[in-house]
Amino acid sequence: MAPPSRSARAAVLASSVQRSKPPPYPSKARSALIRRAVVVGLVIVALALVTIAFRSPTAGAFHDVQGAGSTALRPFQIAAVRIAQPFRDAYEYVHGLANAKAENQKLRKQNRALRERDVHTAAQAALVPSLLKLLHFEHGATFPSGYRAVNTAVITPPGGVFAHSMTIDAGSSSGVRLNSPVASGPALVGIVSNVFPDTSVVTLLTDPNSFVAAFDPRTKVRGMMHTGPGGTLILDQVSKQLKVNQGDPLVTAGTHNARYPDLYPYGIPIGRVTSVGATDTATFLQVQVQPFANLGSLDSVAVLVPKKQHR
Amino acid sequence: MTIGDGVKAAALLFVAAVAQVSIFSQLHVYGAVPDVLLVSLVAVALLRGSVAGALGGFFAGLLVDTASLGTLGLTSLVLTIAGYWIGRYGETTGRDRAHAPFLSVAVVTVLYQLGLLVVHFVLGESAPAAAVVRSLIPAIVLNLILTAPIYALVRRLLRPAARDELTAEVQLLG
Repeated sequence: MAPPSRSARAAVLASSVQRSKPPPYPSKARSALIRRAVVVGLVIVALALVTIAFRSPTAGAFHDVQGAGSTALRPFQIAAVRIAQPFRDAYEYVHGLANAKAENQKLRKQNRALRERDVHTAAQAALVPSLLKLLHFEHGATFPSGYRAVNTAVITPPGGVFAHSMTIDAGSSSGVRLNSPVASGPALVGIVSNVFPDTSVVTLLTDPNSFVAAFDPRTKVRGMMHTGPGGTLILDQVSKQLKVNQGDPLVTAGTHNARYPDLYPYGIPIGRVTSVGATDTATFLQVQVQPFANLGSLDSVAVLVPKKQHR
Repeated sequence: MTIGDGVKAAALLFVAAVAQVSIFSQLHVYGAVPDVLLVSLVAVALLRGSVAGALGGFFAGLLVDTASLGTLGLTSLVLTIAGYWIGRYGETTGRDRAHAPFLSVAVVTVLYQLGLLVVHFVLGESAPAAAVVRSLIPAIVLNLILTAPIYALVRRLLRPAARDELTAEVQLLG
């Protein structure tokens, strides 16, 4: 240190200024060296471990040490899992509650769709017996020759006791013609009374204006079947001298005279005789008939269309 | 860093490593996994410097590789560098900054994921870069959520070192 009496010039120019002695090795630099040595050493060890583990991943001393270490850590891991389990359960419970509303809505939607599908499937299944009947009729012995069947669904069934017609899902585009006979299964239902391009109207046997020439194959008796008093079907025009038995089946009589062709081909089953009566005053037998077809619940019918169309 | 601090830090990182392998590795949120070990390491490194960070990263990575029966040393390598780097940041510019833990976690999450990706790629193992990149943002968010409580816990365990205990090559003025 320069004495206080020295001038500024002397202090600057003086060559014998005493300086403090620097420390031999700064501690900060030493700690930096240690720090770098530590990290470099660790990185080298890590690289060595990676190299050894990579070269022999399934065998060797390191593999065994790693296995032993994993075994030693296993209890701690199990303990950690057990400690976390209640929290995980609580989370899943809350998560489940949070999602319950959305899931409930989704399941309701799915349930509704399944119910609709179930109803649709049931409706389709309900058609199977009648379709099978139609199929059997088409391939059966009673199916009239020279005709083909146009199988179709009933769009509008006969509604109420005063309705004697129904609408079917087939029209002129399917080959249906006016006065084509209509059967359900093997039994006669009625006749096509009006034709549209895609639909047709069928007049049932029970219509007051419906007349069908019928034939009893057992007794060879012919008659005219129509609706009698009270809406029941009767076989009319049967002389009292002829014999008709209760339980006899009746079929369509078909064309008897070529000059007057019948609308119905021969042999389509119509119904069964339920009662036979005669009075002294009446000219004909009183024969009541129960139709084979259940005219009140028809799902599908077959329209009998001649293979050779006459226009 | 005293021996007591070393024991505390070792216990903390051991618990974090076991929890990470056993519990947190199964929590997948938008393709990302919360990394409690990485956040704990960041806290230790910020509070105790680069040497503690590097040592903690090395041994924590060794635990993870051992417990998960992965390639030994792989996680150690990446965590050692991460711990050292964060430690240096804490010793220098990040000292006494409130945002330092959050910034460190965000940056280290990205570097850690990319580092693992590179190491796996170099070793010829499966390295799904697209999946890693997609999971980066969710991983950062998850780790940032963990940062505040974990840093507070580690700060209680390891009281901040006095300024002269921390090594520094950058002389701070003022």
